[in-house]
Amino acid sequence: MSDHNAPELNPTPGERFTKFLKRKDVLETLGWAVFYTTGFVILGGKFYTKWMPTMMSTDMRAIERLMVIFTWISAPVCGFVLSMATYTFRHGHRGDTPPEDGPATRTNRLGISLFGVMSSLLALVAILYGLIELNSSAEAATKDAPNAMVVEVTGSQWVWSFNYPAQGVTSNELMLPINKPVIFKIISEDVNHSFWPVQLGVKADANRYQTTTVQTKPNKLGAFDVKCAELCGLYHAYMETNGAVVTTADFNNWVTAQGGHTA
Amino acid sequence: MTTLDNRVSSRPIPNPSKSLITKLNAGTGLVVGIIFALGTYYLLNNNSSDDATVNFQHYNRTLLASMLMWSVGFLVGIGAFIGPWRWLIGKDLTAEEQLYLAGDGQGIKRYFKYCTDHKVVGIQYLVGVITMLAVGGTMAMMIRTNLAMPGGHFITASVYNSLVGLHGITMIIAMIIVATGPFGNFIMPIMIGAADMAFPRLNALSWWVLFTAIPVLCSAWFLGGIPTGWTAYAPLSIQAGPGMNAFLATIIIFAFSTAVAGANITATVVAMRAKGMSWNRVPIFVIGATISVALAVPAFPTFMLAMIQTALDRTFMTSFFDANFGGSGWLYAHLFWIMGHPEVYVILIPGVAILMEIVPVFVRKPLFSYTSAIVGFAGIAGLSVLVWAHHMYMSGWMPMLNGPFMVTTEMISIPTGLIFLVILGTLWNGKPWLKMPMLCVYAFLWNMLVGGITGLYLSDVPADNYLHGSMYVTAHFHYTLMGSALTGAVAGLVYWFPKMTGRMFNERSSYVAFWFIQLGFQVLYLGMFTAGAEGQPRRVVDYADTFHVSNMVSTIGAYGVGIGFIVLLWGVVHSWRHGIIAPMNPWGAKTLEWTVPYPVPLVNFDTPPVVTSDPYGYGKAVK
Repeated sequence: MSDHNAPELNPTPGERFTKFLKRKDVLETLGWAVFYTTGFVILGGKFYTKWMPTMMSTDMRAIERLMVIFTWISAPVCGFVLSMATYTFRHGHRGDTPPEDGPATRTNRLGISLFGVMSSLLALVAILYGLIELNSSAEAATKDAPNAMVVEVTGSQWVWSFNYPAQGVTSNELMLPINKPVIFKIISEDVNHSFWPVQLGVKADANRYQTTTVQTKPNKLGAFDVKCAELCGLYHAYMETNGAVVTTADFNNWVTAQGGHTA
Repeated sequence: MTTLDNRVSSRPIPNPSKSLITKLNAGTGLVVGIIFALGTYYLLNNNSSDDATVNFQHYNRTLLASMLMWSVGFLVGIGAFIGPWRWLIGKDLTAEEQLYLAGDGQGIKRYFKYCTDHKVVGIQYLVGVITMLAVGGTMAMMIRTNLAMPGGHFITASVYNSLVGLHGITMIIAMIIVATGPFGNFIMPIMIGAADMAFPRLNALSWWVLFTAIPVLCSAWFLGGIPTGWTAYAPLSIQAGPGMNAFLATIIIFAFSTAVAGANITATVVAMRAKGMSWNRVPIFVIGATISVALAVPAFPTFMLAMIQTALDRTFMTSFFDANFGGSGWLYAHLFWIMGHPEVYVILIPGVAILMEIVPVFVRKPLFSYTSAIVGFAGIAGLSVLVWAHHMYMSGWMPMLNGPFMVTTEMISIPTGLIFLVILGTLWNGKPWLKMPMLCVYAFLWNMLVGGITGLYLSDVPADNYLHGSMYVTAHFHYTLMGSALTGAVAGLVYWFPKMTGRMFNERSSYVAFWFIQLGFQVLYLGMFTAGAEGQPRRVVDYADTFHVSNMVSTIGAYGVGIGFIVLLWGVVHSWRHGIIAPMNPWGAKTLEWTVPYPVPLVNFDTPPVVTSDPYGYGKAVK
């Protein structure tokens, strides 16, 4: 190999990159990547806000935000995968004989390194975001705990019952005063159940002889559903009851009507 | 005989007619199995106590023992223990008997015998898997039909719960063996240039043990069904009726079968590779299947253990899992998920590996970054044993550990990314030949993307607070197991069909099935994702009116999938009987299984092959 050919055979990385970007297949793929990424960003923002129920606590708001943000983190991955898939599919070979051989590329150090770093970074962002979210909800719970109201939740095949020890009330409906932190102490009388006040965005299993605790703060007035999220036998599907977040005055009236005492 | 090549048929057909071996088949197995089961039942079944609880425990003992004895009896009857028995008395099978056991020259009869030929075992697995998927799929259609409308009066709650559990366990068992059973047994030994599996008799044993589990599982229907779902959480499983025994016995038998098969496949790949096939020349499907069974070998014994403990709790009043007497349901959940999470990768990895085997053939390019593929599989397998408690975020077991388990779970996305990289890198700069197996690769890319991303939400503790136990979870794992792993196995069926049956898969039916299945699948699980996001719990026989639209959409999609699979099944039957006779290497692939004719000779290769490169030498040299 003679010397004067060297510059053409070994273009600088910058030149190679510009040449790569000008390739027809690369341009089309990039176009698809932009299309899919934007599509997922838009759809990702809409899907969960459209389908998830009313948010009645800060926990539920955090969950919805987290799902939207995770969709956005995944959008570039979708763009990458789907753009390459779309390009090669559009330019695929149809017919009864095999296509011509492609280039015998077995590896590409730069491509693999870039992919490895990018995918690890995205995973890291997701992990960190999740850990921060977990920590901030735990911190908020610790701060709220001293002035929280306790509700003892008992699951049995196939009913929920709620005991308010401070008020001396037991009910099959879950009434909660607005903006008052509440701690659920959950236990089962028989098999495993899972206590799920849907719109409040918390959930915890009910186990026999082991109390599980979960805390939230309802911040929106209205009715919500209480369901069982763990298969618990024949009428698992019907193990549900009504809940409502009401004003403090309404809550006190309800307690009195149930024969309990307000603080 | 038309089913034999010249070399084999020119040999005299061995006929050790005096040997007991020639008299035994699945029929004698059936007879002896039933005798053992009924004998055990009548020997043990004497409910003399006045106490209903004691009687119930005794009845459970009787049923369990009868079921396990059926399995033992069947194996005795089919002749599984003749070899070990000979060893015990200081002899071995004669060479003639061994050749007879290999089914040489016995035509269709050998499929009903204790046949040691890996190709026969592969076909037995294939038919078994298709049957199980058809039964499990029918159950799924009944579930979806019931959920089309709120009110759910198509079937009763008790039948519905049983269906949920039996659909689950039937599909899990079928999916665990769907790739490593038929293709791991039929194709893999030829792929690595071996004459047979390392332990041919164990190979036959693994299939026939599995076979005995099928009637046991079916008997659950006649014993009142199972109310627990396939997770069989205690204490619900301890409270459950006699049908539960069928579930427990099935898992105990099945775990035994996977242990045998796993040891056999691993040993074959380690010890039986052709001369020159160093580890960096092994086809990627073989690597995937090996990593998968290597993961299964330690995983399933814990499941078996959990089932034995549940059985003891039910029959002898022990209290491993019964909190009423000091046990712990969390212990069960741990044992279950320590098996359960590796198990999903036991299912996924071979399916993906099949697709990786297919891509280079249809794109006519070498597999991109073989090393990344192995690192991806190994990384997934390694991390999968460290993530089980993400199924227990809400159980209250140890909230402090939710964070660490979230970290390990989300880290799995990194090796999973490598799998995408390998497939996309192979596609890039290539012109894929868009035959049905290649379409499956594209379907996999989309399905695994959706399954992976929704898994990211579920791995996250705050989001799981909402999503855990909802329909969203059901949709997520169907995207990974059905959309990804089963798609891979279906691609493998069409791809290897010419080698396994000698005929090409009917093309039109393969395309029709593909589009019905894949489009129906998207509709089915889009509906289920929205139902989950709206807040519908899983495993419910009935739901509130607000979920009606999502469920209706889901059911419509399910019918599309159902039609697709019926077409596929028709394609299998029709092509097997009337398909176009296949050339030796219809796809122009370079792996060793395409160098042998159909029917594949008894010892696969006339002269043992010598391997000089990896099987991905496609493509024009890059300047």
